[in-house]
Parts: sequence; structure tokens; C-alpha cells
Amino acid sequence: MAPDSPPAAPERARTRGPWALAGRRFLRNRTAVAAAVVFALIVVFVLSAPLWADRVAGTGPNQSHTLEKIEVGGEERDVVSVEGLPIGPQWLGAGGKFFLGADGRLGRDEMVRLMYGGRTSLLVGISAAALITVIAVVLGLLAGYFRGWVDTAIARTLDVIWSLPVFLIGLSVGVSLALGGLNLGPVELSGGSLLIPIGIIAIFSLPYVARPVRGQVIALSEMEFVEAATAQGAGPLRLMWSEILPNLASTIIVFATLTVANSMLFEAGLSFLGAGVQPPNSSWGLMVSNGVGLLNTQPLLAIAPGLMIMLTVLSLNLVGDGLREALDPRSAARVEVRGGTIPAEGAEGAL
Amino acid sequence: MKKLCGVVAMMSLALISILGIAACGGSGGSGTGSGGEGDGDRTMRATYGTFPEALDPALDYSQEGWTAMGEIYLPLLTYKHAEGTEGSEVVPGLAEDLPEISDDGKTYSLTLRPGLKYSDGTPVKASDFTATVERLFKINSPGSFFYSKIVGAAEFEETEKGGISGIETDDETGEISIELEAPSSTFTNELAMLFVALVPAGTPAEDQTATPIPATGPYMIDNVKSGRSWEYDRNPEWAKANSEAMPDYPSGYMDHIEATEITNPETQVDEIEQGKAQWMQNLVPSDRYAEVKNEFEGTQFKSAPTNSTYFFWLNNKKAPFSDLKVRQAVNYAVSGEALERIYAGQLTAGQQILPPGMPGYEEIDLYPYDLEKAKELVEEADPKDRKVTVWTNNESPTQEAGEYLEGVLNEIGLQASLKVVNAKNYFDLVGNESTPDLDAGYVAWFQDYPNPNNFLQPLFSTEAIAATGATNLSRYSNPEVDEKIAKLAEEPLGSEQEAEYAELDLQLMEEAAAAPYGSLSISTFVSEEIDLDKVIFNPTLGQFLTSFEYK
Repeated sequence: MAPDSPPAAPERARTRGPWALAGRRFLRNRTAVAAAVVFALIVVFVLSAPLWADRVAGTGPNQSHTLEKIEVGGEERDVVSVEGLPIGPQWLGAGGKFFLGADGRLGRDEMVRLMYGGRTSLLVGISAAALITVIAVVLGLLAGYFRGWVDTAIARTLDVIWSLPVFLIGLSVGVSLALGGLNLGPVELSGGSLLIPIGIIAIFSLPYVARPVRGQVIALSEMEFVEAATAQGAGPLRLMWSEILPNLASTIIVFATLTVANSMLFEAGLSFLGAGVQPPNSSWGLMVSNGVGLLNTQPLLAIAPGLMIMLTVLSLNLVGDGLREALDPRSAARVEVRGGTIPAEGAEGAL
Repeated sequence: MKKLCGVVAMMSLALISILGIAACGGSGGSGTGSGGEGDGDRTMRATYGTFPEALDPALDYSQEGWTAMGEIYLPLLTYKHAEGTEGSEVVPGLAEDLPEISDDGKTYSLTLRPGLKYSDGTPVKASDFTATVERLFKINSPGSFFYSKIVGAAEFEETEKGGISGIETDDETGEISIELEAPSSTFTNELAMLFVALVPAGTPAEDQTATPIPATGPYMIDNVKSGRSWEYDRNPEWAKANSEAMPDYPSGYMDHIEATEITNPETQVDEIEQGKAQWMQNLVPSDRYAEVKNEFEGTQFKSAPTNSTYFFWLNNKKAPFSDLKVRQAVNYAVSGEALERIYAGQLTAGQQILPPGMPGYEEIDLYPYDLEKAKELVEEADPKDRKVTVWTNNESPTQEAGEYLEGVLNEIGLQASLKVVNAKNYFDLVGNESTPDLDAGYVAWFQDYPNPNNFLQPLFSTEAIAATGATNLSRYSNPEVDEKIAKLAEEPLGSEQEAEYAELDLQLMEEAAAAPYGSLSISTFVSEEIDLDKVIFNPTLGQFLTSFEYK
């Protein structure tokens, strides 16, 4: 009789990590995916600006063509008429030149300016959001972890900023800095520097991220894993960096996405009112402002950049919503439980 | 699907909102009084793009203000109710006749017409002229410097005591005698300026916009809502007394005029087309100009040239524009034709300081458009400092003109950057020496009166370079030119003087002191029921309110 074979080791169950699960949940959210695709297309669109300018339009974003003519269907047409009317959208009638028409009496290519303007708007939006996120996380961590006078100082400062009429103050500061630039010790910025609107947006948007982060840090600081790490001798820096910050990741990602959208809107408003991006450079907000003066004759000059702002902000908001649902399905489950859609215990594996 | 529908609905709502907000104009104003005859009253509604600086003749130095008050507050002299060159003729106003000027050119004698009254019934007296001039200095009027040449005025300006010794008046005879420090070729014109429109002695030395000063003209101002609207009614004393004393001065057709500020020029054009307003004081906006001109020229729209010069000032004291070649390069590089299009056809290109229509004008064409020549000149000059800040304001088409210059300067080899400032602060900033980077920018100059001195002295004399409020923005300084300007200022304007002014104009262009690019035409746009042919646009005072009539 042959001896018995030892029993086979039980098969290890296949598990997915939390990020993979979140990714899967996100991909199941068709609206968020569609929005992400739209945003990606917008990014590709604006990044293609130099290509379009060189290969198709044959002009730069700030180049005037007031006296020039283009050939459309074998016929020569003024880019800007003698009465000062800019040429309308040519679509592909002139080989792609003046696709959306000329931007006004300076005869600049509106499509090229739309693409370059988008780069500026996105750059300002993303840079401001990055700055806001970094500073807000640092302030939120310090305030939420140390509490006491540190929390008081930071929280009250944020309260003061929050209580200001953000747009009005931002506008005043923006106008004044756009005129004289900024000279603060070693820091010297010219009036047209993009760092000025980025800085203004960052400062005045800070409380909207810092306060929720602070709240989360307070909650996390009281959890057992933090207590355990403290008992093991971890110092404040290590606790904040290794224990608390990773648990803030999902919050940070969601806020960062939404902050990009808000920053872009803030920049559009500042530029519309002359306190953001300075001419002759373009941004979508500035283009809307310039286009409003020609609304009767060339409405596309205001509509095109306005539509781009709307699509970008909307897609970012939908992506942010999708990320929030994916990274913290308990928030979705809470909504669905309250709505009676699912039973209380039925949420898919949480992070 | 539900979420997608929601998204689509949100997008549609957002798009509609954008269009709705963008299309809405700041209509402002009370919107009352659509015009037309009713109850025996002839009413008209006028719209202004900007409320005048002040509805006080001593304080306003703007086209809006002069048009608003030019026939309300009358000076001793005024301008003929005519257009073009004829409208630049000085005629008696409250004075019986043009002044008698002494042989040495220093003493001006006039006589007040008898029987004149202010709208509140107060008699107009000769001594009111003294009080009016003194008030200019007390109130820090922007026009006071025109009258600093009166003997004793400088002392009065400092002390505000003791009166102005150079003015003598006799209330019984109505005689007024004015003695000047030195002869002046412009003083007759300066007596026709709104600044010295007679006001009752005792009028407070502060802005009277809210409580309008009693009038001497056919209309009086009342019901002022500062920053928003005001109204005109017939001056009761005009019919009773003043019209008899001034039989050549028109009494006006309208009985009541409402003036409303509407900041959005698009809305103003719409209101004229719809008949909700009968006249818009400011220019038809550039993007509607072609449409309005093509549809309404001859019936509701006409334009008239002005004695104005639009130019780019170039700081002669700082590199790179301290170099003649670089300044000449700019003149070669600026295309009048391009700027005509930028101004939507409202500008007539020209490259000299004196505008057509100004005595002393002789056409100059030293710098035909040549971009390559401009680049060559910059290369030859090879300035060490190529950085240039171009200043402009945020109003269209001025902003576009500034952007155009910035582009052109970059094209010819300079390193230009643009600074756009609010129109209300523009001249304060660029006229202040402490503002950094004052390299180049836009300026437009309209005549105060038809004398070349009114252009050359404030724009290019050394004394017009000041720490604040400078008008010589190019900071051009040439003692030889200063001497010529000062000499011509004392001589009555004749053909000899006109030829000398033409030579000065040529000299300034040979030295490329600035880069002029043209003169503006001002449009008159009225509603269908107004008789366009009767509306008079005066080159100094703008449209005359007394000239508006229904068909």
C-alpha cells in the first residue's frame, strides 16, 4: 500500500489592492470615464497648439494680420475689412487658416489663440491647484495634528481669508500687481507674469482645501493605528508622513481635481476683468472678454472660449465626482443606504 | 442615462447662461421718456457712455461735459452754431461784441449785453466774470492755467486773497477789461472756453454737479442723479430776457431732454435703432460702425472730422527712443492703413502733429510705411537697451492700437511688452514721472480751440514736461522749438504765423518726436424721428442740443 501524499496547500485567494479596486470602480462609472476622455482630448487639443500654428495656420498667437488677405475658394478676402470687420470662421476653406476666424481688428488667428489660450488657462489652473494642494495639506497636517496654538493660528488665518470677498479682493490685488508687478525682497515679478494670477488664486482658494484636510487629519489622529505608532516611538514628522498622509491620499486626489476646475474658473474671471492674464497673451477668460465686444457680429469669438471653459470645468468636476466615489465608496454607499437603494451591509469592499 | 441627461441639461443651461450674460448690456438709467410729441411737450432722450466728469463748467475738461454744458453755461464769447471750419469761428456770447484788443496786445475790452439773467432770475453782472475766474483758481480747475496769464492771477492762485488785479469791471456799464502779462494769440479763444462761462458771484468753490448752477443759455440742467442721469428744461429767463439780448443764438426745438448714462455702447446703438433713445453722444462702437454706417448713412448717421491727433508718444529722454534712428524706425513701421482698420474706419491716417482743418496744416509724408527700412534703422542704431514698455488703456480700440504698436516694435527688433491700464487712470499714470518704464504709449489730443499753439505747446514744449500731469508725454525738449512756440503764442494768427507753425510741424516730424497716426471722425447717430440734417456737430463743443428737431 503506497503511503498517502501530503495534502495540497490550500490555494491562496486572489485579492486586489485598494487602488486597483478604486480603478475598477472608476472605470465602471461611464460618466466619469467619458468626462476623463473629454478632458484628455482638451489637453491634447491645447498641447497641439504649436503644431497647428506651424503646420496649419502658419502664424503665431500674437501675430497681427490686419492688412493681409487670404485665399478662400479661389477668392482673395481681407483678414480685416476696411471697416474693421474681422473675417469670420473659414473652417477648412483656407486650408485651416483662420479656422474660427480672426479675433478682432488685429486680425489674429482665433483658433491659434484658443489653443495657446487653453495652455495658459490650464497651466494657471493646474499650477494654482498644485500650489493650493501642497500648501493646504501642509497647513492641514500641522493644524490637525498639533492642535493647540498652531491650530488656532492656522485656522484663524484661514477664517480671515475665507471671510474676505474673495473675488473682489483678488481682482483688486490682481489689477494692482498687473500694473506694477511684484517687488518683494528677492522676488521680482513683472506685471505680465503668470505667477501673479497663480499666486492670487492659490492664496484665496487655500481655505477651501486646507479646512477639510485639517478636519480629516484631526479624525485620523485619533485612530488606533496612530496611537499604536506613537506607542512605538514614532515622532510627529514620521506620524504625519507615514501614517496620516497616506490615508489622506484619496481626499487629496479628489480635492486636487476639483481645485483645478475652480482655479480655472477663478482665472477666467480675473482675466475677463483685466486682472489675470495680460494682453497680448491669451487665456480663455481674456478671450471671452475680448469677444464680448464683438458679440453682435462675431459671436463665436466669445462662445468658443466660453464653451472650452465650460467643457473643461464640467469634465474635471465629473472626474472629481467619479474619483470620490471610486476612492471612498462608503460615501456613495451612505447616499444609497439613505436612499434605500442598497441594504446597509451591502457595500463592496471598502479601502 | 439619468446622470447623462442631467449632465446635458446642465451643459445646456450653462451655455444659455453664458450667452445671456454676455448679451445683456448695462442698460442703466431710468429708461423713461421715449421721445415724441405728447401733451405739447417736445421731449428727447439722449444717452451718454460716460457721465461727464462734472456738471460744473469750472471742473469739466471732457468732450462729454462740453457737449452737455456748452449751451447751458455761456461765456462772454462762444463758437458759431455751424459745422466744420465755420464752426471754429469765435462769435460774441454774453458779450455784445468780440473783444477790443489794445495795440500792445495785452488788454482785452468787452461789454456785457444788458438785461441778461440767470435761470433763477438773478441779473448777470460784469463782476460775475471776475468771480468766475477767481473760482477757477479756488476750485483747482483743470482749466485755470489758461488764465494764469492775466495780471494778478498768479498771486491770486497762491493766496486766494485780494482779487485778480488784471480784471476790472463796471456793473453799471457792463464793461469788462482784462490785462494780460504778455500778448497772447490764443486768449480770444480762451475767453470762449466753458471754464469761463459766467456763474453768479458767490457760487461755492466746490463741485456743483448735485445742485446745478443757474444757467444763462436756452436750457438749464436739473434733476441730476450723479453718475446716472440728468435732465434739461427750458430756461425760463431765456424766453423772458436772454433771447432778446442774444437774438442770433438759437432757442432750441426740444422742450425737455433726458440724458442717461448707458455704459454699454452696444445697448445705446440698439436703443437708437429701436427708437427708445433719440441720440447717443459717444461714438458708435467699432464692431457696429460698419453696420450702422451702411444702413443709416444720410438718414440717421453722419460723421465729421475733428481737429484731433492720435499718436504714439516715444520717450525721447530714455533709450531706445533717445536715438533718432529708432524713433524714425517706429514712424516707418507704423502703418496708417492698419490703424484705420483697427479704428474701424473712424480714423483718417496721417503722420504729423497738426490735424487737417487746423490753421497751419500742410501735409507731411516723411515716413511712408516700410517695415524693412524700420528694421534697418534699428539695426544701424543698435540700441543697448531694447526693452520697451508700451502703455495703453483698456478701452477699445485704444487697447488694440497699443497691442498693434507692441507687435510692430517686436517685429523691428525691439523687446516690447504691453501694459494695459484702466482708462480713468491712464493719463494720471503716464503723466507722472515716478511711474516706472514710461517708454511709449498711446495718446489722443483734441483741440480746445482752433489754434496750432493748442497742440504744439502742451504736447512738445519743455514747460509741459512736469512731475505730475505732464502733457508732453514724449518728454521732447528743444530750446529752439520752445522759443518759436513762445514767440508764435504772442502773435495774432495770420498767414505768416500759419506758415511758421507748418515749419514747426515739419521739424517735429523730422526729429520724429512722436509717431502720429491719424485724426478721428466723430459720428452722429440719431433715431428715425430726428431730422439728421439739422443736427450741428461743432468741432469744439460737439453736437448742439438746440439743433435737435423732429422731422
